[in-house]
Amino acid sequence: MPQLKLTLVSFFLFVSVFSFSQSDDVYSAFLVPIELKEKANAVVRFQKQTVEILSLDKIKVTNKRITTVYNKSGKRHVNAVAYYDGTRDIQEMQALIYDEFGEEIKKVKKRDFVDVSAVSDFSIYEDDRVKYLDHIPLKYPYTVEYTSEIVYNSTAFFPNWYPIDGYYVGIQHSDYEIINTAGIELKTKKENFGNYNIKEISEYHFVADNIEGIKYEAYTPDFQNMIPHYKVALKKFEMVGVEGINNDWNDFGKWMYDELLTGTDFIPEETKSHVKQLTAGVDDKIERAKIVYKYMQDKTRYISIQVGIGGWKPMLANDVDKLGYADCKGLTNYTKALLEAVDVPSYYTLVYGGRSLRDIDSEFSSTQGNHAILCVPNEGGNIFLECTSQTNPFGFTAGFTDDRKVLLVKPEGGEIVHTKIYGADDSVQKTTANIQMDATGSFTADVSIETTGFQYSIHEGIEIKTERDQQLYYKDYWDNINNLTIDNIKIENNKDEVLYSENVKLSSVNYASKSGTRLIFQPNIFNKVTNIPPRYTSRKLEFKIDRAFKDTDEFIIQLPEGLKVEAMTDSKEVKTKFGSYKFKLEALEDNKLKYTRTYILLKGNYPKEDYKAFRTFRKQIVKHDKSKIILVKNL
Amino acid sequence: MKHFLIIILSIITLNSINCQDYKFGEISKLELQEKYYPMDSAANAAILYRNENISFEFSQNNGFTQLKEIIMKIKIYNKEGLDWANEKIILYQGRSGNNISIKGIKGYTYNLEEGKIKKDKLKNEGIFTEKATNLYSISSFTLPNVKAGSIVEYRYVIRSPFIQIDDVELQFSIPVKKLDVNIFTPQFYNYKKLLNPKAFYTPSYIEKKIYKTISMTQRVSNNSPKSGVNQLGNGSTISKNKITYFDNKIVLSEENIPSLRAESFAGSINNYKAKLSLELEAKLSIEGYLEKSYATSWEKVAKTIYESPDFGGQLGDFSIYKDDLEAILAGVTDDFEKAFLVENFVKSRVKWNGSYGKYAQKGIRLAYKEHDGNVADINLMVVSMLRSQGVNANPVILSTRNNGTPLFPTREGFNYVICSVENDGEMLLIDATEQYSTNNVLPKRVLNWQGRLIENEKVSRWINMKPSKNSVESTMLNVTIDDDFTVSGKVVKHLTNYIAYSYRNKYASMTNEDHIKSLEKDKGAIEINELSIDNVKNATHPIKVSYEYELSDGIEEVGDKIYFSPMLFFATKENPFKLEERQYPIDFVIPYSEKYMVNIKLPEGYTVESLPNSEGLEFKDANVKFTYLIQQNGDFLQLKAQLDIVNPLILPKDYKDFKAFYSKIVEKQAEQIVLNKV
Repeated sequence: MPQLKLTLVSFFLFVSVFSFSQSDDVYSAFLVPIELKEKANAVVRFQKQTVEILSLDKIKVTNKRITTVYNKSGKRHVNAVAYYDGTRDIQEMQALIYDEFGEEIKKVKKRDFVDVSAVSDFSIYEDDRVKYLDHIPLKYPYTVEYTSEIVYNSTAFFPNWYPIDGYYVGIQHSDYEIINTAGIELKTKKENFGNYNIKEISEYHFVADNIEGIKYEAYTPDFQNMIPHYKVALKKFEMVGVEGINNDWNDFGKWMYDELLTGTDFIPEETKSHVKQLTAGVDDKIERAKIVYKYMQDKTRYISIQVGIGGWKPMLANDVDKLGYADCKGLTNYTKALLEAVDVPSYYTLVYGGRSLRDIDSEFSSTQGNHAILCVPNEGGNIFLECTSQTNPFGFTAGFTDDRKVLLVKPEGGEIVHTKIYGADDSVQKTTANIQMDATGSFTADVSIETTGFQYSIHEGIEIKTERDQQLYYKDYWDNINNLTIDNIKIENNKDEVLYSENVKLSSVNYASKSGTRLIFQPNIFNKVTNIPPRYTSRKLEFKIDRAFKDTDEFIIQLPEGLKVEAMTDSKEVKTKFGSYKFKLEALEDNKLKYTRTYILLKGNYPKEDYKAFRTFRKQIVKHDKSKIILVKNL
Repeated sequence: MKHFLIIILSIITLNSINCQDYKFGEISKLELQEKYYPMDSAANAAILYRNENISFEFSQNNGFTQLKEIIMKIKIYNKEGLDWANEKIILYQGRSGNNISIKGIKGYTYNLEEGKIKKDKLKNEGIFTEKATNLYSISSFTLPNVKAGSIVEYRYVIRSPFIQIDDVELQFSIPVKKLDVNIFTPQFYNYKKLLNPKAFYTPSYIEKKIYKTISMTQRVSNNSPKSGVNQLGNGSTISKNKITYFDNKIVLSEENIPSLRAESFAGSINNYKAKLSLELEAKLSIEGYLEKSYATSWEKVAKTIYESPDFGGQLGDFSIYKDDLEAILAGVTDDFEKAFLVENFVKSRVKWNGSYGKYAQKGIRLAYKEHDGNVADINLMVVSMLRSQGVNANPVILSTRNNGTPLFPTREGFNYVICSVENDGEMLLIDATEQYSTNNVLPKRVLNWQGRLIENEKVSRWINMKPSKNSVESTMLNVTIDDDFTVSGKVVKHLTNYIAYSYRNKYASMTNEDHIKSLEKDKGAIEINELSIDNVKNATHPIKVSYEYELSDGIEEVGDKIYFSPMLFFATKENPFKLEERQYPIDFVIPYSEKYMVNIKLPEGYTVESLPNSEGLEFKDANVKFTYLIQQNGDFLQLKAQLDIVNPLILPKDYKDFKAFYSKIVEKQAEQIVLNKV
């Protein structure tokens, strides 16, 4: 039996060696350069993407991509997937699958691709569909050649070039070319080309060769901001029959305003007079905006429905008024109409929403952004309103649309502005506690946590949990305390001040551990850092701390009668460019101790060489947060 | 010569589909004013009323059609409850037009505005239908003008050509104030009923017979059937008859059903959801004779399944694999060795497509050819191959963990099949869908209740699916304390059975570097080097993992003493059981042991000031045990700690004791060794 296997293997080897013409090399997984394979779940062996501009409203994209897949995580990089709807037509698609020796084992025709609606979990409805290759590999590695031809009847979303489509993908050869048959003027921008092996063959024709896979590392900046990206847009384009001009953001913004927003903002007189009545006598326009924002939050809800012009035209404000729901575009546009009724000017704003910070490119105008918010201009700084949230405080953006460049769509044209940056003093968590410890090492405590800014956004959800889940939440939050019982919870959400206050009464049995006659415990009971960033023997990528914050803690500990401190560390302080940390223990009267702690982390971009020092900083914090107090009997 | 009969049944049902005492559209101000649900003030929304009405409509062309009407009236108390104003219904699209469809979607939103009830109607713009895949379409709708305080009310009817009735859900993630279920099944179909016995909430129901008078118009054609389509009134005589038959009616009416809340370590919460299952048992003729029996005993269920071409039909010899098989098994005589080789051959030849099932999806021939298939394609292939080699191999049908435990004989109770091999009174179970499952270590999804081993149409029997084999993780930890209180040493671990299986699934295809990073996670200021793993891909042997470590924050110096927990980074830091009480059991799934042998070299210039006490703890007749033995041995401190989960199921009534027991384990592991500077 083993003999048979051997002959089979040598048979394939034999065949493949002789069947290879030079260009066929890319079908055999054996012939991937070793350095490309190393940090890769998949290697793009060959890609040729040709974008032909046929007319103002027609682009044809032909694509051939040959990908070798090494494991399950690499499967998606085959990229044998195409979306289609009224504006996108899949003319051809096919996949050929090869085994590791480069022998063809399966052919998948267009009709054999899985065809499903593209509706995502969070959407009620989307009007596009998707065809994708569903192949269960018998073994890895294997290679897929995917070819497609797709015609776009809209030129607003020009297929850009991203030679690297994720972490852990190696690129052997990738080619991108634009053929401008229609002769429409183009604008282009090369981003992050410098660090990668990319050659310009001719104008609008690029080739990337032998790019190693990128390994994910903690604290890396947004992936989109690191990888090469060839940005392309037409200076004159069409979005489903609507023509547009795009020389710069000013043009593009004006087009958006005129063609996508104008005429969508009508709301019934009844609603107008209602909001006027609500704001009657309020002189300050920001105060009026607050009232209207609250009105909108109470009246509407967010629902994702993706239909209409490329998903870009908002639902009519009148319909939102009638139905009480819309997606981000519809709700933003509706709020804008409401504000107009009370003489508060505001601008529809496009943004990349998300926890990581991603800018709208101020130097390159094109269809960008994945979310809409509303900007209320204000002398003390623009105020941005998240209209999809029914609970957000007025003007609160931390965690989703803070600290990034966004596009204001003004009647006179587009304008790029930066949203609010939450500094360390804007995102504070203040924990105070009174602790009564007894001779067995058990304690009861009354703890208060107050949070603002970004830290507010982390705590905010607690009040809506059921009592049982709130208890579980606090037991997880203080998972360093064994045998924790939550006796009482009081939460106050002051949205005007954006201040979240939690008060928890709790108790723990045997918190301090016994060792002979001693009691040993850690005085940092309620805000312990335990997590050290992962270690990399040689870090490859720069790193980034997106948001600053500040934690302050003050715990008053009543020591048990008959026990006194035998030993403890009085204080520690660490100062680095990443931030600072200090704690202090002081004896008060009546056998009490006061523990104070401040931890500030700053926002910043750092070279990879600094990562070790950053880790050391965090290691020191973890260590100092474990500092112990030793109690002995008071003789 | 037979009469060519066309029977037009116009059924005058005595019961209207609506429930008698509920009026759609009747909303009170009081309900709209309600600020929270009185029985559960934390509820974001509550179902004020739900009515599920199932009945069967007869037509000449289609026979019986199942109609399921749903009425929902939901109060939304706050903004977190707004999602209850959206509904998504999945409609299966069968072969040859056997589609499930929806009709009659009606919905209203009610708000209180300036003391008056305002009503908004759900219009077409809020209703969406899409063909999601070839197998199903999705109908969804969203009600207008919903805000905190609103009441939404909707109804719709689902039409199904199938006689099978879906499980009737009686419990939801929000509380239900009032629930009515009425199920009318015609006397021609017999259903067996069962309420989920694992549910914490158990409603009750009553059964009635409801006689119906059918006014039946019988048109007897005088033409012969060959003459084609009958024209109305053309050569036929009409006779009117009244026929009486009955519906079996199930009436379930409940109030104040608590919401269903998940608990950790309990497995799928759906296993504990209150629901009513109905299994079609038999079809009867109009005269009441048994026309077709489906399932009445486990033997019959097994027989019915076996007789299916997609089950028993897959167990014969197939020429497609004959040559490959002979090549692999040449010279092998032992049945278990054959089984092992065939298991591995199938694993390398056919990949699992992720679908469960007791019936083959593609059939063995196609699955073998195309290299993929569902659970039944793969495991029935193993049975078929082994049988073709004269091995005593049989299929075992079972219910996976998230499919629950059927308590009455039902085909739907089984959703999975594996292969058994018996020889010399020993049994080997095989599931070839997972790479690292072997040697009676099966994927956790199948470790549920019992399986039905089917030898043939006539003979079947139960086998226990719960694992009896203990799984062990044993760890040796060597500790040396340096002058700067950095701790270093070596870790050697041995993992067997299920613990090894989990480890393989997690780490087998990971790079060394990622593996180290994963090991370093949550262990403090540690650096791990020289990692080596044996047998990670060879599932027939225990795994051995060893590495060197350096820990810079394991020891604390306070004054002239040093303090540390002897288990260092292996100490359990928190008790995972945080609920004060539970409604559902804790299920560890498998019996297992965790053993630690720690060997600490005392640093020079230090003596032992105090050690934790040695202790043994037991939970409930030693169902779970923990021992902690520490002693000084010259320059060394030695700790043996061991946790044994002998019985992996902890019942809710024992939960409080168990929680306290586990807390003691965590406390014990946190206890410090104190060393004194000489």
